[in-house]
Amino acid sequence: SYFCYDNPAALQSQVQRDMKVNTTKFMLLYAWYSWPNVVLCFLGGFLIDRVFGIRWGAIIFTCFVCVGQVIFALGGIFNAFWLMELGRFVFGIGGESLAVAQNTYAVSWFKGKELNLVFGLQLSMARIGSTVNMNLMGWLYSKIEASLGSAGPTTLGVTLLLGGMTCILSLCCAFALAYLDQRAERILHKDQGKTGEVIKLTDIKDFSLPLWLIFIICVCYYVVVFPFIGLGKVFFIEKFGFSSQTASAVNSVVYVISAPMSPLFGLLVDKTGKNIIWVLCAVTTTLVSHMMLAFTAWNPWIAMCLLGLAYSLLACALWPMVAFLVPEHQLGTAYGFMQSIQNLGLAIISIIAGMILDTRGYLFLEVFFIGCVSLALLSVVLLYLVNHARGGNLNYSTRQREEMKLSHTE
Amino acid sequence: MCSCGEPRRGWRRCTPSPMLLLSLLLSTAPFGFLGEETRQVSLEVPGWPDSPQNLLHIQAVGTNSTLHYVWSTLGPPAVVLVATNTSHSVLHINWTRLLSPEPEGGLTVLPMESVQFSSALIFTRLLEFDGVSEATAKPPGKPYPSYSLAEFSWNNITNSLHPDTLSATFQGHPKDDPTGAFANGSLAFRVQAFARSGRPARPPRLLHTADTCQLEVTLVGASPRGNRSLFGIEVATLGRGPDCGRIQEQHSIDDEYAPAVFQLDQLLLGSVPSGFVQWRPVAFSQEQAGRASALSCQASPLHPTLAHSLPQSPVVQAFFGLQQNYCTFSLTFGASTGPGYWDQRYLSWSMLLGVGPPPVDALSPLILGIMAVALGTPGLVLLGGGLVLLLRRKHSSEYQSIN
Repeated sequence: SYFCYDNPAALQSQVQRDMKVNTTKFMLLYAWYSWPNVVLCFLGGFLIDRVFGIRWGAIIFTCFVCVGQVIFALGGIFNAFWLMELGRFVFGIGGESLAVAQNTYAVSWFKGKELNLVFGLQLSMARIGSTVNMNLMGWLYSKIEASLGSAGPTTLGVTLLLGGMTCILSLCCAFALAYLDQRAERILHKDQGKTGEVIKLTDIKDFSLPLWLIFIICVCYYVVVFPFIGLGKVFFIEKFGFSSQTASAVNSVVYVISAPMSPLFGLLVDKTGKNIIWVLCAVTTTLVSHMMLAFTAWNPWIAMCLLGLAYSLLACALWPMVAFLVPEHQLGTAYGFMQSIQNLGLAIISIIAGMILDTRGYLFLEVFFIGCVSLALLSVVLLYLVNHARGGNLNYSTRQREEMKLSHTE
Repeated sequence: MCSCGEPRRGWRRCTPSPMLLLSLLLSTAPFGFLGEETRQVSLEVPGWPDSPQNLLHIQAVGTNSTLHYVWSTLGPPAVVLVATNTSHSVLHINWTRLLSPEPEGGLTVLPMESVQFSSALIFTRLLEFDGVSEATAKPPGKPYPSYSLAEFSWNNITNSLHPDTLSATFQGHPKDDPTGAFANGSLAFRVQAFARSGRPARPPRLLHTADTCQLEVTLVGASPRGNRSLFGIEVATLGRGPDCGRIQEQHSIDDEYAPAVFQLDQLLLGSVPSGFVQWRPVAFSQEQAGRASALSCQASPLHPTLAHSLPQSPVVQAFFGLQQNYCTFSLTFGASTGPGYWDQRYLSWSMLLGVGPPPVDALSPLILGIMAVALGTPGLVLLGGGLVLLLRRKHSSEYQSIN
C-alpha cells in the first residue's frame, strides 16, 4: 500500500498532462486520501478490536486498498478525474487502518520481545516501497507509452493498474497472515491480537499544554515533508534542470535515508533520552534544508539528505514523548488524535500548497513551508520552556528516567 | 534575482552565501538601475496621405533624456530604438524617402549629436515545425516552409491605439494564403510602453521600467500544417562586429512572478551604453496564462546572417542606411508532448525591449516579511524564555540559600 500511496507523486507530470489538471487539483489526490483518515484513525483500532477481529480487519482493509487503486486506475482509463479522486478516497479508507492492523499483528506476535526493532523494520519496509514506486513508475509509464504508441489517459490508467498488482500481492499476504495467525492460535493457544486502544473522545479535554504543543509540532512538521515530496519532482526538474529519473531519485532520497536510519536513531534516542533536544535538532535541520532549497542553487542532494536525516530523527524522538505525558489508559486516544490531526493537516496543506504553487510559484511555496517549520520550531522552543518551568520529564536523559523509575518502585 | 553587485551575471556564478541572505532579509536589495524613474510617454501614429497607417512612434521624455521607439510593419514588423541625452530630441520622417525603394535617410532623430545609442530588431519569419517526427529529425522537428512576415498584410493601427494603457496592436495575416491557413487566424504584435516601473498582471510578469517597452506576440486561430505543429519566430538584430554575442541565460531562485520558471534570457544589443531584449523562456497556449498552459521556449544561438537572405525592413534601412550584417536567432515554443498550440489554437509570448541595464528582479517584500517573522519569532521566544528561566532560577537559588 505504501507503494501506491505515492503513485501520484511519481507520475505528477504525466497525471497533470494526461488529465489536463492544474497542481491544485493534482494535490487533491493526496487530500482525498487524507480525509477518511481524519475519522478512521479513531475508529480503526475500534473496528479491529470489536467488529472484525484482526484477521478479517486486515483482509477487509486490504480489499479497500485494492479496490481504491483499481478505481484510481479506471479513472485514468476513462479519463475521468473525479473517478480518480474517488479511488484515492477508497484507498485512503483502507490505507491507514491497514497500518493499524499491521501494528496490531506486530504487537501480538512480538510483545515483550524486539518490538521497537520490528516497528523500525516495518517503517523501513514502507519507505522502501515508496522509494521503489518513485523510481519505477516513471519507467513503467514510458514502457507502456512505447507499447501503446501514444501517451494519454489510457496509458496512465494501465500504468496505475499494473502498479495496483502490488495491492493484490498485499491481499494475498493478508490471507496468508490470517491463516498463519489462526494456526498459531490453535497450536500455541494464543489470544487473537488486540490493539488495546480504547478511544474516548472525552479524554481530549484532559490533554495538557505540552501535549498540544507536541500535536502542533507533529502537524506543522509533517506537512512540510509529505506535501513537499508530493510536489518535489517537478521542482527538481524545473529549478535544477534535473532529468526526470534523477529528479525521482532526489525526491525519494528522504525515504531511502529514513529506511536504515529510523532504527538507528531509535536506538540513539533510547540510549540518550533528551527527546526535546533531539526534536529541536530535527526541526532546525529541516528549517536549514528548506532554506537551502528555497534560497540557494546548491545541489538539492545535500538539502534532501539533511531532510531525510531530520525526518527519521523526528519520528523517533517525537512520538515516544506522548507516552511520557499521558497516562496509559489515554494513550490510544492521544495517538489516534495525533494521527487524525496529522491527516487533517496533510489534507488541508496539500490543497493550499497546490494553490500557492499555481499562483505564486515554488519560491513562495518554500517560504510557506519555512513558515510552517518555524511554527514547529516555535512550538519546540515553547515546549522546552514549559517543560523546564514545570519540571517535566520530557527532557530527561535515560539515566534520569531510570532513576525516576527506581524511585517510583521504591 | 541576483544579489551580486553586478546585475548582468548569472546565478550559477554568484550563488549567495548565507550571510548575504541574511543581509537580504534585513534590507531589500537596491535596484542597480541608472535610468529615470518616470517618463512622459506619448504614442503617435504619424501619417502621410495614401500611406498605410502602420508606423507607431513612442516617445518617452525624461528630465534629461528622451527615448524613441519606432515600431512599424512597413515590410516585416520591426522596431528602431534610439536613446538621446536631451529632453528635446524629435523624430523626423521624410515620407517620400521612406516609402521609396531606397529609404536611406528617411528616418532621423534630431539633433543628431544627441543620439547616444541606437539599435533595431526585425521579426522576419514565422516558423512551423512538425513536432511529431522528432525521432528522425532533431527537435523541434522537420521544418515546414516558413511564413515571411514581410509578405503579411497588416491592419491600420490607429484603431487599436489605446493612449490610456500606452499600447497598440499590429495584427496581420499572409497576403497570399492559398491553403487558407489564416482564414480564421492572425498574428498580432501588441506593443506597450510604460511611464514608470511596475509589473503587469499577466504572466510572465516581467519587471518593466520607464525605459522599456513590452512586446507580446500572439498567434490565434491559424490552422497548423501538422497535428502537433510547433511554432517559432525568427528575430534579427543589427550585426555590430565580426561575432554576434550570445543570449545570456540567467538562472534565479525566484519564480514568484512566473511559477516554475527559474530562468530569464536576455540579449544585450551593442556595448555600453546598450539596449537589451529580455524574456522568460515560457509561452502560453491559452488566453488564461497560467502554469497549466505554460510552454517551454527554446532560443537558438545567434548566428551572423547577410542582408540578402533576410526580408528587409524599410524603417531600419531608413535610420541605419544599408546594412550588410545582421545577427539572427529563432525561438521555438513548446514540445511535441504536453500542452501546445493545438489545444486551443492559441500561442502567446512576451518580451521586454529597452535601453540601459536590464531590470533586475529582487525578492518581493512579502517573501522578505514572511521570512523575517518566521525566523525572528522562534529566536526571540528562545531568547526571552531563556532570560526568564535564568532569572527565575537565580531568584529561586537565592531563596534556597536563605532557607
